[in-house]
Amino acid sequence: MTVSLDPLNEVRRAEMRRLLLFSTLGHVLVLGLFFALPNPSSAPALPGIISVDLVSAPPGAPAPKPKAAPKPKPQPVPPAPPKPKPPPKPVAKKVVLPTEAPAAIPKPKPAPAKPKEKEVEYDDLLDQLRAEAGEEEPPPEPVKTAAASPVEGGGGRTGVRVPPEVAAWLRDARIHVRNAWVLPPGFRLQPLEAYVAVELDAAGNVIGSPRIERSSGNPWYDESVTRAISKASPLPAPPQAGRWDFVFRPEDSY
Amino acid sequence: MNPFLSAALAAIAALACLLSPVAFAQGKPPVIVTDPSARVYRVAIQRFAGTTEDASARLREKIGTALEFSSLFRPLDPIAFLGADQTPSLDEDLAFACGDWSQIGADALVQGEIRSETKLGIGKSDLVVEFRVRDVARSCRKLIRKRYRGGPDKESEIAKRIADDIVGAFTGSRGVSATEITFVSSRPGNREIFVMDADGGNVRQATHNKSINTFPSWAPDGRSIVYTSYREKRRPGLFLLARGGGSPGRILGGLMGGAPQYRAVFDPEGKRLAVVMSANGAAEIFTVRKDGKRLDRLTENRNIDISPSWSPDGKRIAYVSDRSGAPQIYLMDSDGSNTRRLTFQGAYNTHPAWSPDGRWIAYESRLQGQFDIWLIDPDGAVNFPLVSHPRSDEHPSWSPDSRLLAFSSTRRGRADIFVTDLAGDNIRRLTRSAGDNTNPSWGPYGK
Repeated sequence: MTVSLDPLNEVRRAEMRRLLLFSTLGHVLVLGLFFALPNPSSAPALPGIISVDLVSAPPGAPAPKPKAAPKPKPQPVPPAPPKPKPPPKPVAKKVVLPTEAPAAIPKPKPAPAKPKEKEVEYDDLLDQLRAEAGEEEPPPEPVKTAAASPVEGGGGRTGVRVPPEVAAWLRDARIHVRNAWVLPPGFRLQPLEAYVAVELDAAGNVIGSPRIERSSGNPWYDESVTRAISKASPLPAPPQAGRWDFVFRPEDSY
Repeated sequence: MNPFLSAALAAIAALACLLSPVAFAQGKPPVIVTDPSARVYRVAIQRFAGTTEDASARLREKIGTALEFSSLFRPLDPIAFLGADQTPSLDEDLAFACGDWSQIGADALVQGEIRSETKLGIGKSDLVVEFRVRDVARSCRKLIRKRYRGGPDKESEIAKRIADDIVGAFTGSRGVSATEITFVSSRPGNREIFVMDADGGNVRQATHNKSINTFPSWAPDGRSIVYTSYREKRRPGLFLLARGGGSPGRILGGLMGGAPQYRAVFDPEGKRLAVVMSANGAAEIFTVRKDGKRLDRLTENRNIDISPSWSPDGKRIAYVSDRSGAPQIYLMDSDGSNTRRLTFQGAYNTHPAWSPDGRWIAYESRLQGQFDIWLIDPDGAVNFPLVSHPRSDEHPSWSPDSRLLAFSSTRRGRADIFVTDLAGDNIRRLTRSAGDNTNPSWGPYGK
């Protein structure tokens, strides 16, 4: 029963030294980039961490764990600046979005007989999504709590009106990402929720790495979520290129 | 899926919703994803370089089997591979194309090399297996690279460890295929203690005393097993099985003037044990140091208090008491204070098992003469049946990663040890020989 499985120490030490050097250089580089680039949010320092992980895989299992810890840590940091920003943004953009939407709508409008389609209340959209998922009773939605922030800006219910093509895209993107999302059963019994910001180009390609805006608190759940988005790329072409947010919240869905 | 679990999950989700405000990106509504399509990662395992086709195919098979045991991975059929069936080399792989693996739907790609190395001075050669895992969704970036060395007889164990590493690389806690389970079996004609690998293989009989032996439970370091035996004067007493030079045999013999001892479990540090002993005719729970000193009585009443299970921080104990009339699960601090009843549903609840991550207490609940395995959280807020069957499911015991539960079930007639994941619907049988196999206790991560 006693086992001697000795990972090779000498080799590892040599590797360690080499990789430590790389790692240090990598960190210096990343730091440099951090200060050089105007937009810090676009620089999730993932690549730098990888090489460190490879080294640090020790004989014991916890190898991957150190990797997990550093990853979420840098992430929560960037969200900090964005967080204060969103509150004003939604208010401002709330006004913008409807104006943007009509700007986008005119194009499809002339050709197809879409005028019948009304703008959908975001709440209704959620209800619709829920109905699709086979959920009967809509629980008090986070959107209502979300409304809390818009309310400051004078929103009524949620106040967010979603143009039909956006609604359609939200639905398609959801299905697309869902199909790429693997979540082991153990995680499903936990109240986990992660917010992810994703940069999409006009064709739906994910640009760079998805960024955790709000961690679920479990780095491995966050991993599964960003992995799902990377795997889902390219997504259906979005109504407009740029940042889109994803909320991952497992419910009963067996 | 079972409706109780669904309801429990919905409750959890609703709670989560209430707690979390949403921040919209630039006023755009977010995409809300609530239902992952899969619960298993699909893994492509290449045959490892540097050995015969047979040997590398055998190792691939073993790694795949161990990964399947985790309930988290499903190996892809190599027939579907677009990329190379065998790893050319771990170092230079110019022809490598990640698209070959993403196109076939792989989440993980396992590559590796095997060689045998002769030890200097000795004629024996060791198996050296080095492997690497790639995260296919993320441009096949490399997650871990690791090397194992062992005698030629260690091939299976190396395969399991590789599988457990892969699970760890994707989920944060390593797999448990290289762990062990101890249990009670009547296959010799009387009830003896047995040990097997977590996948049900490599079964060994650990006691041979022709008496009644039961309630085996691991020390947290995995070096010993405490169990109850009736071998001395046909009175129940506590004994130790030790591996690697420990001192086996009778333990805690003189406590309370030799009062009958029904069961003991080590605390998470392995320093103390919670012991069920007879005191004034009723079974009561005590704690005592391994050397028999510092005996503390935690329960003191005329009712039966049994089946202690430590919380992972060692600060609390779940146990069974019939003080309300029928057996129910209770919690108390490990000094016996702050007692409170945890289960109120069901007339007969026993055998609590606190998960190593602290999140759940599994227990068995009797309904119409049959036992089912339920899960309840330590606050008592969520409580639902995990495994239910017209025959009885009993004696839950957690895997060290809190992702699987072993239990005994009479669903196939005689009692056998089964394992389930936390979805409750991926149930596999581990024991296959004659006799009743009961009281599983899942050991810690090894060595």
